[in-house]
Amino acid sequence: MPATLENQSMSPRLQFDGISKLFPAVRALNEVSFSVGAGEIHGLLGENGAGKSTLLRILSGVFRPTSGSVLIDGKPVTLANPVAARAAGVAMIHQELQQVPRLSVAQNMFLGHPLTRGGLFVARREQERRAAEALAAIDPSIDPAAPLGTLKVAQRQIVEIARALLDRARIVAMDEPTSSLTPSEFERLAEVIKGLARDGVAVVYVSHKLDEVFGICQRATIMRDGAVVDSVDLKSLSEKAVVAMMVGRELAQEQHSSHATSEVMLSVRGLASATKVRDVSFDLHRGEVLGIAGLVGSGRTELLRLLAGADRATAGTIAIDGKARRFSSPRDAIAAGIGLVPEERKREGIVPLRSITSNMALASMGVFAPRGVIDHRRLKQVAADKMKRVNLRPFLLDRPIRLFSGGNQQKAIIGRWLAAGTRILLFDEPTRGIDVGAKAEIYHLIEELAAEGHAVVVVSSELPEVIRLADRVLVMRDGAIAAELDGADLSEQAIAAHAIPQTQKPATAPARQ
Amino acid sequence: MSDTTLMQPRTEFLRGFSMRDAGTLIGLVVILAVFGMLVPGFFAERNLINILQQSSINACLALGMTLVIISGGIDLSVGPTAALSAVISASMMVAGVPFPLAIAAGFAIGLLCGLVNGVLVAYVGLQPFIVTLGTLSTYRALALIYTGGNPVLGLPASFRAIFNGSLFGLPLAVIIVTCVAVVAWIVLKKTPFGEYLLAVGGNEEAAYIAGVPIARTKIAAYMISGLLAALAAQILIGRLGAAEPILGNLWELDAIAAAAIGGASLMGGKGSVVGTILGAVILGAMRNGLTLMNVQSFYQLLATGLIILAAMLIDRVTRGRG
Repeated sequence: MPATLENQSMSPRLQFDGISKLFPAVRALNEVSFSVGAGEIHGLLGENGAGKSTLLRILSGVFRPTSGSVLIDGKPVTLANPVAARAAGVAMIHQELQQVPRLSVAQNMFLGHPLTRGGLFVARREQERRAAEALAAIDPSIDPAAPLGTLKVAQRQIVEIARALLDRARIVAMDEPTSSLTPSEFERLAEVIKGLARDGVAVVYVSHKLDEVFGICQRATIMRDGAVVDSVDLKSLSEKAVVAMMVGRELAQEQHSSHATSEVMLSVRGLASATKVRDVSFDLHRGEVLGIAGLVGSGRTELLRLLAGADRATAGTIAIDGKARRFSSPRDAIAAGIGLVPEERKREGIVPLRSITSNMALASMGVFAPRGVIDHRRLKQVAADKMKRVNLRPFLLDRPIRLFSGGNQQKAIIGRWLAAGTRILLFDEPTRGIDVGAKAEIYHLIEELAAEGHAVVVVSSELPEVIRLADRVLVMRDGAIAAELDGADLSEQAIAAHAIPQTQKPATAPARQ
Repeated sequence: MSDTTLMQPRTEFLRGFSMRDAGTLIGLVVILAVFGMLVPGFFAERNLINILQQSSINACLALGMTLVIISGGIDLSVGPTAALSAVISASMMVAGVPFPLAIAAGFAIGLLCGLVNGVLVAYVGLQPFIVTLGTLSTYRALALIYTGGNPVLGLPASFRAIFNGSLFGLPLAVIIVTCVAVVAWIVLKKTPFGEYLLAVGGNEEAAYIAGVPIARTKIAAYMISGLLAALAAQILIGRLGAAEPILGNLWELDAIAAAAIGGASLMGGKGSVVGTILGAVILGAMRNGLTLMNVQSFYQLLATGLIILAAMLIDRVTRGRG
């Protein structure tokens, strides 16, 4: 049940009271107030830069508020540092897990405050026993002695939650906990989160995936520009209305339009890799957006890496405009007109310290330096041109790319391929970690690129995204193409039915909504 | 459009001379001012030229080191590379080979030493620290074995004249290293190779996906470092008139220090030619000043250590600005 109004004397488990946070140049939070009751799963929504992360950092003791206070069970608490926050009963589960892969599950759960014998020696057995107890309630299949690195991301999330249980946390804050989970893993995690709530924990749940938030949260607070727009009851609102509150305007819901031609640009036959991909064949046409769906681990990313020359194929052929090509590095693929917009932007996309201009120019340096020396004037012109084209914001071409939001970093990477004259663009999870407003822009851009005659491949775990963007969808399963869907056949249910291995029950299909 | 054109003069200026370089320059000015007050004659033209001359060898090595550090690596083998290059050039000259040929052979040795480092790092995939730690011993051993541990004496006067000469009142060594610095600056700021170095050191995986030739870039950085070590060796033996197999001991540490004071990050992806030169002059000026003050060498070592730590602390405190 939502925080009860009938019991006025009970204080909410967690209350933010007029929290403001000023940084040297910006007001990151402005008089933020809302509360979360015991046993409530409370969504925290907003675009990147809305102040969600700053608020969570205040809750977890990383930042201190400039004014205002945090109350736990009605009592103001001073969360001077992460240790104090933990002692006050706050557990934070980060988007990028803060764990040590080489240590065991139990060691990670006791990281920072190990159980000891006589204060000298780590009581490893005792740690493992207590870890097993905490895990038993949520996922007994996890071995507390196993190295954490051997676990899947979903299981690592569960270890974090078990750690919160171990700390007897009264408040659990989760920042994008599902950004790398499959739909069935999400269902599992959702059960665990609901279990936490049943035990009286107040859960603050941050996610960009609105369907998830609607699925597990009763109420949500929507933030924009550092202030609370409203705290709402999700039962009485549509997703569309929530999005409008987040971005401050109605986002045009646009229909998919196809620009596919019959001209084959890329032709793949019998492509295979040493690890994952098996006998993949398909044609990609000029102006077409080809979606690739499938579970995480079905070989989608591996297929893109083969096409982009990042990994070597062990069998099969790739032909561009009818001409067979062999790629031994991304350099070869780029020369043939293929560019990859990778899934992990931070790791594979950007050079963080370098400017937008440098990041953009990286794939086409030769063009800008015909006589060995870079023509900076021309480079600047092209950068201004391409970045205007992708609508970079703020429009500061010399600013290091790390200071931009994920969406704008993504735009710069797309601009990189535009500058390189790439004709075949491969997108791996193009909107992961990108907020709603920028997401719509990226969709637009992909459609425009197709309309201009590029050929586009989009790999995505978000089925609505695939359906929104793609003219045709290949569903991958165990490294091979399990189905090709288009037109009337194309639906979330159809994709899910083909994506899930036959041995698994279709009951775990992501048939939400 | 108007806002971008408005910003251009400023960014153009920053491109050549960053905030971090300005900080290094302030550090140099402060050190010069302090010694100027404490040491009579410190600002005499003769002494200032001395400082430049004494800094030139380290600056030469540090420029190569900077490129390697930017690529995300490190080159601990510069001293022994220099020694190997020196003894081979010198013994060729002593045997009667014309000195331009002997110098070229010395440079070739430097390039070869760098190539070995680069291939082991880029193709074999070993860690730069370990690779160059290994070649540090190997190259030194080769120099010692080749000479039997004895110095090569009696270099021709014509050869010595080049490196002891002067132009416009400046020692030729200083002019040569200045030219090298200008070339290094152009390479880093104005060529694709410079962008590739910064990208490979800044995020190797992203650079790979963007089509940067990773292996070639790294190997080139180590080869340049080897070449500049060989150049430093020629300058030194030209000045001394002899080549010792043990020359260049601990050169790598001074070179790394100059690069780090100048703003190079050992994490890779960051570094400045201007900063490195200023860093080398800071170290040179400090040693010169302390020597003139008759400070014991123990304290000179202490001062060097403190300068490096102070530079890093200031870096840390001002991190993320400019």
